[in-house]
Amino acid sequence: MSRQGLEAVLIAQREPLLRFLRARGAGDGAEDILQELWLRLVNLDTGPVADPRSYLFRAANNVMHDRYRSAQRSRQRDADWIEAQGLSGEASDAPQPDRELIARATLAQAEAVLEAEGARVLQVFRLFRIEGVGQRQIAQDLGVSLSAVEKDLQKAYRALMRWRETLDAD
Amino acid sequence: MMTDTGEQTRLQAIDWAIATHDPDFSDWDGFARWLEADPRHTTAYDQALAAGAQVAELSAEVRPARPQAANDEDRIAHRSIVRRRWLGGALAASLLAVIAIPAWQMRPQPYSVTTAMGERETVDLPDGSRIVMNGGTTLALDRRYPRYARLETGEALFEVRHNAADPFVVETGDVQLVDAGTAFNVARVDGSLDVAVSEGVVIVNPKAENVRLPAGRRASITGVHAAIIVSDVPVDQVAGWRSGRLSFSGTSLAHVAAALERGLGARIAVDPSIAARPFSGVVQIAGRDSAAVASIAPVLGTRAVKRGDGWELVGDNAQP
Repeated sequence: MSRQGLEAVLIAQREPLLRFLRARGAGDGAEDILQELWLRLVNLDTGPVADPRSYLFRAANNVMHDRYRSAQRSRQRDADWIEAQGLSGEASDAPQPDRELIARATLAQAEAVLEAEGARVLQVFRLFRIEGVGQRQIAQDLGVSLSAVEKDLQKAYRALMRWRETLDAD
Repeated sequence: MMTDTGEQTRLQAIDWAIATHDPDFSDWDGFARWLEADPRHTTAYDQALAAGAQVAELSAEVRPARPQAANDEDRIAHRSIVRRRWLGGALAASLLAVIAIPAWQMRPQPYSVTTAMGERETVDLPDGSRIVMNGGTTLALDRRYPRYARLETGEALFEVRHNAADPFVVETGDVQLVDAGTAFNVARVDGSLDVAVSEGVVIVNPKAENVRLPAGRRASITGVHAAIIVSDVPVDQVAGWRSGRLSFSGTSLAHVAAALERGLGARIAVDPSIAARPFSGVVQIAGRDSAAVASIAPVLGTRAVKRGDGWELVGDNAQP
């Protein structure tokens, strides 16, 4: 689908998209967000898009999730900044925590959490969330039913959410 | 305690997070109806989505640093599946690109400048400002907005013509640096950022933390939660790479290797078991090239092993 094609779909789907953005918490900003999204899309060489309607909704969904994530991040940064300031007055000369080391340790912990839910849970989650394979394809490749894949993913997400809560509580 | 409705919302949110992430998902109207049923649903959904995204991001952050071991059983087990899903992966990647496009791309006439490892380049901007790029660096600039630069990756020294009415803005990752009359060095390696100021003042994230960095101070922005750590730096050591003199203070070997890569143009991996080890000291690289890695390695308490057309730094006593 060309850019003109995508534009036609956007015009046709304008109302449902605005409604979706509002339901995703955009409120009065929905119009602006849709406009911004459109500018991003026209500046992006998207190549062929198989399902343009889904593509636009997905992009709108991603924008809203990004907003959620960056609000979370700046809250976290404020907290960390106050913490760093609080430790030694004006500034902290503490040795910097090694980012990669922390990432590695956190990932190992998350993978252990997933593995505890069953060996296949970790494998299914990786294929789905990291390799980007769809549930139907995972079921075919692993020779299990679609609902088994679904259940594994539910277990994985529940476990990760519980785990994140315990991290925040620390 | 979580109420039953809360728990129910959470389970539904997880189901939608899984469903919408699937490349085949198309029931956006059904999803919108669920969201509209309760204003709390959208946050519950974002929380579920974030739980999955965190692990994916950590993997992306950690995996590239690992040596591509041929005997990685996990990799082999998944290879056939991954290859078959190549097209699906390409589609997923294009969707990801939609998330990642930062706001600046909405502005017209962007262009980018990239240096190879070991190569240097100076960009003279129309306002008289100058950007000296170290090796392995990519800058995104915009002809319409000459007082703006985005450091995608690598390291550069910004010598900025100050104009209080139109401050020079450097963006990198989600961090914004605004000059207040300035020469400063910015290094971005993977996701972590180091800003060191040799003249004037730089303001980090004016709209958020609003940290003022005067000359002789540096800020490290690192870690999953992006804490800003401020410390001193001798002014003559800022952008030491320009004179071929790299100084480190408690820097991880992974980042030392990245600095050597940029300066020498050699590909240098670090054995993961020593990548986090800190190094403090000065390394001279002026007039040296890729072959110098072998003689620099012992200074770092390591040994350089030739790997293909690059090097790997291993522990002193490791087997080759």
